[in-house]
Amino acid sequence: MSVRERLPGGSVLPAGRAEQALLVGGLCILVAAVFLLTPLSATIPGALYVFFEVGILFVIYGLLVLGLDLQYGHTGLVNFGHVVFFAVGAYAVAMLSAEGSFEGVALGYPWMFALVVGVVAAAVLGAVVGATSLRLRDDFLAIVTLATAEIFHTLFVNFRGVFGGNVGILGVPQPVADLAADSDTSLVATLLLFGGVTALTLGMLTRLTDAPYGRVLRAIRADELVTRSVGKSTFRYKMQAFVYGAALAGFAGGLFALYNGAVAPGFFTIQVTVTVWIGMLLGGASNHRAVLAGLAIIMGLRLVSRFALDVSPVAADAFASVRLIVVGLILVLVIRYRPAGIWGDERELGVES
Amino acid sequence: MSLLDVDGLTKTFGGLRALDDLSVAVDRGELVGVMGPNGAGKSTFFNCVSGVVTPDAGRVTFDGRDVTGDPPETLAKSGLVRTFQQTRELETMTVRDNVRLAAPDQRGERTLPALLRTSGMQDEERAVRERADDLIAAFELDHLRDEYSGALSGGQRKLLELARVLMLDPDLLLLDEPFAGVNPTLTNDIADRVRGLNDDGMTVVIIEHELETLTDLVDRLVVLQQGSLLVEGDPATVVEDPRVIEAYLGE
Repeated sequence: MSVRERLPGGSVLPAGRAEQALLVGGLCILVAAVFLLTPLSATIPGALYVFFEVGILFVIYGLLVLGLDLQYGHTGLVNFGHVVFFAVGAYAVAMLSAEGSFEGVALGYPWMFALVVGVVAAAVLGAVVGATSLRLRDDFLAIVTLATAEIFHTLFVNFRGVFGGNVGILGVPQPVADLAADSDTSLVATLLLFGGVTALTLGMLTRLTDAPYGRVLRAIRADELVTRSVGKSTFRYKMQAFVYGAALAGFAGGLFALYNGAVAPGFFTIQVTVTVWIGMLLGGASNHRAVLAGLAIIMGLRLVSRFALDVSPVAADAFASVRLIVVGLILVLVIRYRPAGIWGDERELGVES
Repeated sequence: MSLLDVDGLTKTFGGLRALDDLSVAVDRGELVGVMGPNGAGKSTFFNCVSGVVTPDAGRVTFDGRDVTGDPPETLAKSGLVRTFQQTRELETMTVRDNVRLAAPDQRGERTLPALLRTSGMQDEERAVRERADDLIAAFELDHLRDEYSGALSGGQRKLLELARVLMLDPDLLLLDEPFAGVNPTLTNDIADRVRGLNDDGMTVVIIEHELETLTDLVDRLVVLQQGSLLVEGDPATVVEDPRVIEAYLGE
């Protein structure tokens, strides 16, 4: 930061928020590196395992919700098939890097190369869907994305020779687990590393949307024709927002595959899309931190319900339905009393009740 | 040579012929008024010229280039900017952001400079903010700077829309009913501003129903009827023309 920007009134862009996230992200990655590259090891008490597992899933889904919020919260693009980009990233990474999978393609390339290809594959799919559908009205984009997700899900299940069917791809390398001294250290390092990546992403997206770039995106959400008539090529911006979101989801998918060591269709159901959408609406769309917080609430509920299951009088499958009902009720309450989400700005989203 | 040249413009919506072989030319530096009864094709004329709808036939030439069917963003970048009959604000954005958005060629609107927060981009944004604040102050909206534009009154919205298009510093400004629903004092105020812009060299075309304000303001009047040119010429002569009186008042 230059001296001039520190002077009162010197900086024109909201300072601090993005830098804070970037700093936290960098620190998390540093600590993760210490765990992985030194003999230092961590021990997790047995009761806390589940917190780490859900936490890792949360920071991976965090990338999904940040990308979705760039598309929907800022630009107003309704993407009901976000999981497909997550899945494509994960499958691309798994198929390229896996060695000796039970079924399906396993090419055994280095995982870094696979991760790059996974991001590119998701971005390309995003570009194809965007190029064909972004000129359509909002509701058509919603249908196209939903259909794309279903098509790919069916492909993954049915092309057993390529995608491994319901079993999926096994034998994906787990670079973090390989480097770590034991499984506890691996969990801690994974959470720190992925959390750091999510925080870095949060910082970069905050920079992007605090800049004039974000102003154009929000203008498109407000009124595309006005935005065009003041000389902005709105299609290009919609395309970029859509592709960035897709690429982020692909990246998240790649991280998931490399953490999980396997991918299967069961990990990439519409449930993922629903979870990130509810998290985003609950927290407050178009506010990066709020959507992460909303997602944390929804996923925290999952955690609470795991403990609640032990003390509840109903069977496990009945309890799953109860959980869905609770999530639905929360969503209804939020939409009724806080239509812009818990931390969302009602005037900013134009939903004043 | 004329700045805007519209030649044989035709547009039909289903069975309705909204524009029928309309030819109009506007010279650089002119202040032209467009009037005509409801449904005469005034707004369709603007929509075709500004790229919001594509004409079925005919040619639009702006600054010597054929721009027929060019999208609004291309036209806006090349200096042809319009306002809307029903004021369209970006209601979920503040007055400041409404005006700042229109600043052309901002580096911060591209991904990399926005991500890297380059100092060039920040300097540019600083200049944009200053210019936007000057315009907002010039239109006496400064007390509403950080208000969301959805909260503005009808007249304030008209002013904000003007401030926003002026941010683009257009060569040709198309104003679609800038006085509609505006009180007489504000009407005179807006008229004075338009006159001032024209004196500074901006070419302006105004659609308006408010006859008196329009005839006092413009250099030349164009009257449309049923999608074609009825009469054009000196405002004083045009309003006395029996065909115009008939079109407006009936026989």
